[in-house]
Amino acid sequence: MKRRVKLTFPQQLIKEPVIFTMAKKYDVLPNIRRARVTDTVGEMILELEGEEVNLEKGIQALRDQGIEVELIEGDVIE
Amino acid sequence: MGYVSGLKCRECGREYPVDPIYVCEFCFGPLEVVYDYKRIKRVLTRKNIEKREKNLWRYKELLPINGEPQVGLQSGFTPLVKADNLARELGVRELYIKDDTVVHPTLSFKDRVVAVALTKAKEFGFDTVACASTGNLAHSVSAHGAKAGFKRFVFIPATLEQSKIVASLVYEPNLVAVDGNYDEVNRLCSEIANKYKWAFVNINIRPFYAEGSKTQGFEIIEQLGWEAPDNVVVPCASGSLLTKVWKAFKEFKEIGILKELGTKVFAAQATGCSPIAAAIKQGTDVIRPVKPNTVAKSLAIGNPADGFYASQVVKATNGYGEDVSDEEIIDGIKLLARTEGIFSETAGGVTIATTKKLIEQGRIGRNETTVVCITGNGLKTQEALTGHTAEVHYIKPNLGAFEETLNKIQSAR
Repeated sequence: MKRRVKLTFPQQLIKEPVIFTMAKKYDVLPNIRRARVTDTVGEMILELEGEEVNLEKGIQALRDQGIEVELIEGDVIE
Repeated sequence: MGYVSGLKCRECGREYPVDPIYVCEFCFGPLEVVYDYKRIKRVLTRKNIEKREKNLWRYKELLPINGEPQVGLQSGFTPLVKADNLARELGVRELYIKDDTVVHPTLSFKDRVVAVALTKAKEFGFDTVACASTGNLAHSVSAHGAKAGFKRFVFIPATLEQSKIVASLVYEPNLVAVDGNYDEVNRLCSEIANKYKWAFVNINIRPFYAEGSKTQGFEIIEQLGWEAPDNVVVPCASGSLLTKVWKAFKEFKEIGILKELGTKVFAAQATGCSPIAAAIKQGTDVIRPVKPNTVAKSLAIGNPADGFYASQVVKATNGYGEDVSDEEIIDGIKLLARTEGIFSETAGGVTIATTKKLIEQGRIGRNETTVVCITGNGLKTQEALTGHTAEVHYIKPNLGAFEETLNKIQSAR
């Protein structure tokens, strides 16, 4: 399955290969569509493809490192 | 025959036909409605607008419909109140309240966006409309959808207070309470919107839905005698309203209805959920999501879809973003009620308190004209004022008791 997500990176992780590491460990295929990076924070819009259980584990691993993982739609509860 | 030329990605500019889609297939950027302004310029004039019914559809050429309006024929055209008492209190010359506490039928600006979304849903041939909401949006979809004859699915977090549920349930939608945290409800709704062929107003209909917010901007210009204010202060949840008020001003300039446009746009947020104001203050282009914790529930969007675009409007117009504490919000609600006789929901307290702060900071000039957008009615969030209002004078049923109390009241002045 595929999931479209927005990642927000804190400053200390901007230089780390977190996407590559997660992709390799959980067998998830990342397809980066857009990114916006400043000195202090980074944002990346991408599609993740893989087995549902692997996607869940991969996303959790990103969160555990301090990356915000959100829907690309933004919060839909208004 | 409408005046929409298509949809366009706000990020990469790729164009799409008018369909119930909301995101660019390539860069996942949000889609925006694009109009044929040359044709609109020929038909939409001040004179034509002034002849029309006083509702939000008087600007219909600048709204994303093909045929005639079908929903919300009594919505919009709310008062622009010249707030002299509040202006005196805040020490400014000219202040106006755009009073969306009285939008028909559910007393918030959501009646504008839902009127447009449901008209578009009819045009697309949907028989079911849906939304995820903790308040105003749920009320509006439930009510407008009832009148328009839609099947309705309204999703709420299972923890929502009973008082907010009743104001939706009375219109008899299918109200689905999801037992999960905020992120889980968000994700489920996104999955449902992508699976079922429904008009999910703020997901697959979002590009059209959001355009309804422009009517607040159009009305401000018309009600100021076809002039733009020096400043406008807009509350931010997703950030959409702010970008659309500005789009409305720019469109009126584009088609020649507005001669001059130099308005500064200011974003108002609660400190407990201020990702947009924080990005503006820090001068960054990246909006960092937050976990909301504020009394202003209708603005509690921690991951705002239009946050980046709102911050860009603020930057481009030399405005600013400010945030206020829950205590300042309550004081803002009370100040507006005490001076202008308008009872706003908590979001209005945010806007009033932010305006006060911006004036004190000198970012809003004391001799300038400022419009403050008030977006919902205080009767919906009365619990926020518990313990913060003036007290009742309880008396026994005799004249002596009344006069004793009257003396106390008079001597207290």
